Amino acid sequence: MSAIFEELKQAVIDGDEDITAELSQKVLDEGINPVDAVQQGLIKGIEIVGEAWKAGEVFLPDVMMSAEAMKAGLALLEPEIAKLGISEGEAKGKIVLGTVAGDIHDIGKNITGAMFTAAGYKVFDLGTDIKPEAFIAKAQEVGADIIGASALLTTTMVGQKQIIEYLKENGLRDKFKVFVGGGPTSQAWADEIGADGWAETADDAVQLAGRVLAK
Amino acid sequence: MLPKYNILTEEQVQMIHDESIKILSEVGMEFEYEPAVEVFKKEGLKVEGRRVYFTKDFIEAKVKLAPSQFTLHARNPEHNLVCGGDNIIYMPGYGAPFIHEADGTRRKTTLQDYENFAKLAGASKNLHMTGGTMAEPQDIADEIRHLKMLYTSIKSSDKCFMGSAEGRERAEDSIEIASILFGGKDVIKEKPVLISLINSLTPLKYDERMLGALMAYAEAGQAVVIASLVMAGSTGPAAMAGTLALQNAEVLAGISLAESINPGTPVVYGSTSALSDMHSGSLSIGSPECALFISASAQLARFYGVPSRSGGGLNDSKIVDAQAGYESMMTLMAASVTGINFVLHTAGILQYFMAMSYEKFIMDDEMAGMLLHYLKGYHFDEDGLAYDVIAKVGPGGHFLTQKHTRKNHRREFRIAELSDRNAYDTWAKEKLDTNQRARRKWQEILANYVPPAVDAALDQKLQEFIAKRTQELM
Repeated sequence: MSAIFEELKQAVIDGDEDITAELSQKVLDEGINPVDAVQQGLIKGIEIVGEAWKAGEVFLPDVMMSAEAMKAGLALLEPEIAKLGISEGEAKGKIVLGTVAGDIHDIGKNITGAMFTAAGYKVFDLGTDIKPEAFIAKAQEVGADIIGASALLTTTMVGQKQIIEYLKENGLRDKFKVFVGGGPTSQAWADEIGADGWAETADDAVQLAGRVLAK
Repeated sequence: MLPKYNILTEEQVQMIHDESIKILSEVGMEFEYEPAVEVFKKEGLKVEGRRVYFTKDFIEAKVKLAPSQFTLHARNPEHNLVCGGDNIIYMPGYGAPFIHEADGTRRKTTLQDYENFAKLAGASKNLHMTGGTMAEPQDIADEIRHLKMLYTSIKSSDKCFMGSAEGRERAEDSIEIASILFGGKDVIKEKPVLISLINSLTPLKYDERMLGALMAYAEAGQAVVIASLVMAGSTGPAAMAGTLALQNAEVLAGISLAESINPGTPVVYGSTSALSDMHSGSLSIGSPECALFISASAQLARFYGVPSRSGGGLNDSKIVDAQAGYESMMTLMAASVTGINFVLHTAGILQYFMAMSYEKFIMDDEMAGMLLHYLKGYHFDEDGLAYDVIAKVGPGGHFLTQKHTRKNHRREFRIAELSDRNAYDTWAKEKLDTNQRARRKWQEILANYVPPAVDAALDQKLQEFIAKRTQELM
């Protein structure tokens, strides 16, 4: 049984979405414990890639493709885990990500999503041009720990502030940590709007999440 | 002027063109603005939703309508600029949200920074115009930033400046302000005064803001830079030729829109394509790859018979240091020697367009001066060959006391303004590096600069218009 976990791990390391999906389907077909497949296969693979990226041994496309492969596996295994009513094991946290209303730039957000996935977080990426209410609706639906809002334009940064205002108006401010990021943003801006976190790079954002959620 | 050097063969240029046409006809491009889609429909192109599929004939016919060069008119006609041909136009950086101070600290840009850069560009011998959004004035409400920026440009210098590209309404305000200053919309339609920066949203899209502005400027006969910034490896393929073809497709589509709206619209072929750093994903512009895109863009624009925009003092450094210097010189020199006509971001940029620096501005201004001198090349007249004085001094003498030397050295040599050419002991009195010397220099320039006055009656009209619009917009 451990052979298939090893194969899953390798498929994630290779960033091979198709093989990861095939193997995950095999897990289901053969009645292998899906939680073990996630824990000993997918997550082990992504951890190795994450470490190799930090060490400068692999590059961003490697990490992002591994994250995609892992998602493909989870898409098959998670419904089964839910059906069996067993615990998936502890994800490090859940993060809802999106680019704010009026802004359709998403490269930075996509990189951030992949880095969080690689670090063992569950990422819900809403895409671009997302209104505050949509961020919050998703965060409530999935029980998110963090809402991550990206903006590339000085003219759309205000969308990050609106998320925090929306949370306050609806008495939800203490339910979620709000992280902001993107080219024109800064720690000063995060402080000004009362965000819980800001980071300049995706990797910094992951580190920060670890610290904030540990509190 | 030196001959422009080409990095691609004629066959390679043709291949890029063919690839771009293939992208435009088979993949198509998306235009997130209905009036733009309508223009293409009327032209008989195949449209599916927002996706437009171009044809070779359409693109080639439209690009032919664009002028090979045009004059951009300034408040002071001495500063009129010919964009195209052998001409080169240098100007400050554009759009950065941060200032990096001399000590490396970072802060938000303000309207005061915008004014300071307009004045520094106004005072410069090497920068031909003041540009636009030299620093985003984040202390001003977003709704009226464009009004404040335009007015500040007008008050700070009599050189050419840029219009707002933030959507149709702000473009129309820019046109209105320019027509007040220059005597009416008919006047500026004949003699363009504004040039604005229209960017694609790579890959293969244009957004509503940019399309609205493009259409307003084309209708008003104002010049537009149609630019694409492909980040090879993330918003484009990890392939230099493929990225060039992708960029070229986007620019051609934008030019075809401008020429469909108003045949003869002055356009500039723009590129700031570079790469995504494969470790962090961030843009990297101080790179040999960027220099390759700059060089090829100059050549492609020549192939299409339109002026080009690219390059600048581009770099990824955070402070005025050696990296800022060597990267910027590579990209500014690539732009200058390959024949780029309109060099946005010549002065001030740090960290892949994220920041402006006063010290970097002064260092880049020096580099611009060096390159303008380099581009002049040699003088092959009698004084330039200097046979008589060589014969007169003969073997073993020296030239320092010759009239020819005194008369010619100012034409033949450039006087360094920032570089330190002193002996060690002279330098060692203060031990100032480039960053510190530049800091001292920009402060002096600003302290001594007197902006050319605007006619009081015109100024009154401008202020009234801005006050009226401010009331409407706020």
